[in-house]
Amino acid sequence: MSVAGAVSALLQIALVAVGSPLLVGVMRQIRARLEGRAGAGVLQPWRDLRKLARKQPITPRGTSEVFRTAPLLMLATTVAVVAVAPFVTIAAVPDAGTDLFVVVALLTLGAAALALAGLDTGTAFGGMGASREITILALVEPTLLVAIFALSVPVGSTNLADIVTSILHDPSRAITPANLLAGVALGLAVVAETGRLPVDNPSTHLELTMVHEAMVLEYAGPDLALVELASAMRLSVFLGLWATLFAPWGIAADAGVGALALGTLVFTVKVTALGAALAAGEVFLAKLRLFRVPELLAGSFVLALLAVVASFFFG
Amino acid sequence: MNIVATAIVGTMVVAVATATAALLVPRPARSAVVGVGTALCGAAGMAAGIAALAGQVWSAAVAGLLPLAGVVLTVDTLSGVFLSVIGAVGIAVGIYGIGYARHGLDGRWVQAMEPLFVAAMLLVPAAGSVGTFLVCWELMALTSLLLVLAEHSHRAEVASAARWYAVMTHLGFVAILIGLLVLTGHADNDSFPALRVAASTLSPTTAGLVFALTLIGFASKAGILPLHAWLPRAHPEAPSHVSALMSAAMVTLGVYGIVRVGLDLLGGGAQWWWLLVLALGAVSAVYGILQAAVGTDLKRLLAYSTTENMGLVLIGVGAGGLFAAAGNTLLAGLALTAALLHVINHAAFKTLLFLAAGSVLHATGSRDLDSLGGLRPLMPGTTAAFGLGALAGSALPLGPAFVSEWLLLQALVHGLAAGGVATAVMMPIAVATVALTAGLAVATFVKAFGVGFLARPRSEQAANARESPPTMLAGMGVAGVACVVLALTPVLVLPAVGGASGRVFGTTDPVSAGLLTVRLQGFAGSLAPLLVAVTVVAATMAVAVLARLFAARHRTRVSARLWDCGAGPLSARMEYTATSFAEPLQRVFDDVVRPEHDVDITHYRESRYLVNEVSYRLRVPDRVEHRLYRPVLAGVRAWGRAGPRLANGSVHLYLGYGFAVVCGALILLVVTR
Amino acid sequence: MSEAVYVELLSLSSGIVLLTAVLVLWRRELATVIRVFTVQGVALAGLVTVVAVHESSAELGVFAVGVLALRAGLLPHLLRRALTAAGPQRRETRPLVNVAASLLAAAGLTLLALAVSAPLVALAPSPATAAIPVGMAVVLIGFFVLVTRRRALSQLIGFLLMDNGITTVGFLTTAGIGLVVELGVSLDVLFAVLVLGVLTGWMQAAFGDTDLDELRELHD
Repeated sequence: MSVAGAVSALLQIALVAVGSPLLVGVMRQIRARLEGRAGAGVLQPWRDLRKLARKQPITPRGTSEVFRTAPLLMLATTVAVVAVAPFVTIAAVPDAGTDLFVVVALLTLGAAALALAGLDTGTAFGGMGASREITILALVEPTLLVAIFALSVPVGSTNLADIVTSILHDPSRAITPANLLAGVALGLAVVAETGRLPVDNPSTHLELTMVHEAMVLEYAGPDLALVELASAMRLSVFLGLWATLFAPWGIAADAGVGALALGTLVFTVKVTALGAALAAGEVFLAKLRLFRVPELLAGSFVLALLAVVASFFFG
Repeated sequence: MNIVATAIVGTMVVAVATATAALLVPRPARSAVVGVGTALCGAAGMAAGIAALAGQVWSAAVAGLLPLAGVVLTVDTLSGVFLSVIGAVGIAVGIYGIGYARHGLDGRWVQAMEPLFVAAMLLVPAAGSVGTFLVCWELMALTSLLLVLAEHSHRAEVASAARWYAVMTHLGFVAILIGLLVLTGHADNDSFPALRVAASTLSPTTAGLVFALTLIGFASKAGILPLHAWLPRAHPEAPSHVSALMSAAMVTLGVYGIVRVGLDLLGGGAQWWWLLVLALGAVSAVYGILQAAVGTDLKRLLAYSTTENMGLVLIGVGAGGLFAAAGNTLLAGLALTAALLHVINHAAFKTLLFLAAGSVLHATGSRDLDSLGGLRPLMPGTTAAFGLGALAGSALPLGPAFVSEWLLLQALVHGLAAGGVATAVMMPIAVATVALTAGLAVATFVKAFGVGFLARPRSEQAANARESPPTMLAGMGVAGVACVVLALTPVLVLPAVGGASGRVFGTTDPVSAGLLTVRLQGFAGSLAPLLVAVTVVAATMAVAVLARLFAARHRTRVSARLWDCGAGPLSARMEYTATSFAEPLQRVFDDVVRPEHDVDITHYRESRYLVNEVSYRLRVPDRVEHRLYRPVLAGVRAWGRAGPRLANGSVHLYLGYGFAVVCGALILLVVTR
Repeated sequence: MSEAVYVELLSLSSGIVLLTAVLVLWRRELATVIRVFTVQGVALAGLVTVVAVHESSAELGVFAVGVLALRAGLLPHLLRRALTAAGPQRRETRPLVNVAASLLAAAGLTLLALAVSAPLVALAPSPATAAIPVGMAVVLIGFFVLVTRRRALSQLIGFLLMDNGITTVGFLTTAGIGLVVELGVSLDVLFAVLVLGVLTGWMQAAFGDTDLDELRELHD
């Protein structure tokens, strides 16, 4: 790995690590304001993380190291994706390329680790959250992979860097029917994977309506801080991937200082804008019953399939 | 000196010697002798396979050993792939069997069959003529049947499972026999080179018939729908190391058959052949993993997972055939490489999983996930082994199956425009199938590992479990090491496998594998499994270190109660079971799975408003069996019931049948002269 | 002997063989049927003797003597013993196919035998081979008797008729079956007769009757 690559990777990791709780704060603040509340401020997630980090670490009785290492693994896979994705600059992508299938699989690995931790607690809530999370994860895989297929057809490669470069060289590629359909499909998939409304309500207090929150119910203190940070970073990564795939303008082509600064700025703006749009949309949505979620995901799968068909017939 | 020849002959000699020793040696030493012998057989087989992959081919003909045609053995690179796989599985299973078979499974004949089974499986890829192939196939079926019946005196279901297995494997054998004989009828003799020559002169209909018949037999052996019914019955009832042999090595010979007959002997064939193979593979993959996802019997779950993985392999084979039929041999080579690599990876992790399941069965006496749990502190080695196997089985990064699935996806993605409209339609469907199976596989293995090994024990048996003896752990260790090596450095097998697939289509190695990166030749795509693993591990350690640094004050962990809503200590009954974990998936796929519910409410005699007892039973039957097998079996039974009507006990009627047939034949003779 | 006498004698003996076969089908009293069978045995031996004299073959002469001894002597004797063991029932009661129909069937079977044997005769035309259809007809008539008679003894006679017919055809087509082959076949036939004779006795003891339809009681 070259120096430029290493620097870019570290920059991206730092940006996402620091910025994702801020992103979550912005989203919560927008929801609050739209709902007529004052809101806790954009920095509240960071304050929460700091509070949690200072508490005593707790291990529930009867759990094993799976419970303790799952947040680490989830965070690690997210960090691994951030390190090699061309969020800010293409120079972050290593020689071997950043294959989209690998990215999706790494993110799934993190989620699966957390589901195992939910089962490890041996409580009904942990099991329930894990069960629901795994169901949604299983049903969103076809959409993800088929949408990646659709995106790779005009480029002839599933390497993220190649897709980004091809759109940068030929901006008209961004508004082909295939791209638009894949964009909508991936958007729905992102909502499902990150646990936002209408699939899951991240701010619910009712255990029976939880998916992600039930899984991590037993975490407390520094472990919970890791889990929260990992979730926030996952959200940023998914939004960042969506932005990189469908609106890659502003991504730096090399690791020059100016280009990096511009890339950072553009990335921040894009992700914040997407997050804001998502938050604003959530205000008008209610959570779907768990057994209506497969219908939503089936719809997104059909869109992805149509995207592949469109990419084959319309070039 | 030809290593292949020495190794194959060595395998036979060691197998026969071990079998004889098993019949003679006293009981205490029997399992050890057989275990070591089987492992040696496996090692010899693996040596033969590796030598064949390195380029050493070997051919031998021994006339007179078999009536009519004699024995012809031919080992080429394609055989080499399967020889190495079977040999490797044999090593792990042999070592494991030393400890596992010691109680209740060390009867003379059962032990003697084990090395013979491995040897028969090693001979099938080495067969070079139809006669040899069929004899070895049947030997394999017979030895495995005897091994499946090993525990028939302990449980009643074993006999039923063995019956299903025997009938289906022989029906498959008949189909293969007829298909190969039709092909041989057009050739000079029954050796494979003569068949290749004859195949070029066949009409498309005849070639299609031969392929369809052999596909029926080989697909049934590989556990592909709709002829898979023996797999989820026979594998749970067989001893665990035999299940590992069957699942990891024997079913792959079905794939070998399809590749050998369809791609090699018949030389590719029409497009509809490979569309059929692809479709069957896709359906099996989804159905298999779905049944595994909603299943609660640990070994039945693993058996259905085998169906799923063989379905994925057939997707690769079918795609390869499709691309070759369209003329794109490099892409075809890539698809077949993915399929063969998946065969190897599947052998590694399925062996590991079955051996670990056997360890659990040995310790707790139960296969039911709903009564397991809490095995992590009691059986750490087995838990680690099953965890590694589960990671591998769910095709996630850091597992070996990820590399083969990635290759398969790349082949499918690049193949969109490789053929006609049919190919273009099948590719997205195939990708969607692979994706759905990947997602469901994650669900299945999270369930199996999480419910079976984590949290607290759900029954007395699980609470009293103890770790397995060292030989069993050693066997699991061998398989585990293989998994890790295949996951991190596929470069050890990829050039050989790529070369073998390339040779099937007459092209070069479609994949170039370095120590770090796997690159596709002729297409854009690369994967660095070692880098991915290193990055994830490094990130995990970095995060752990940083977390320690930022957690300012406290360093020691405190143990606390789980959240129980303030109602009191949690019991094991409150844990999620495998059934409940899979319930959302079962509801989503209700049309396919169609579970059967039985609710039985008994009231008190005094009042119908007071409930005495509620009994609930949930059963997930095999839908394909219900729809397809039941009518066929009912028809056969009706035919059987009609039979006695023909035989009403009157001697005159029986004689009359004979007389009528003789006169009829004579009249026919006269009329048609 | 001259050719004309040879042909005459040949036709005579083969005619008697066929006639006796039809008579077995016609008569109902078991003792008469056994006597008719004996006559057939004599006629068969006569046929073989005629050909032996014409061919001047000593082997065939020995063969003729053997046929006479077995089929006109030993076998009828065993049948008579079985008849006495079979008890008071001396008649074939209600055959499955009535006598008129049986005779018509015999005629039909003879025609079939003629049609089937035509190419065999055409292979090597000679006075001897011209009698092959007779042998075929006797085989078919014997099979018919086997199928349609109720009494065990009658079935046995049908079986023996078949064997006579087969011997005739074999002898006429090859003009000298190996002695060993004929010996082997004869031994088999002898054994069959002995066994069936014993069986008839048992049936009489078990059912009081040797009507084979009683065996249907054993069917569940």
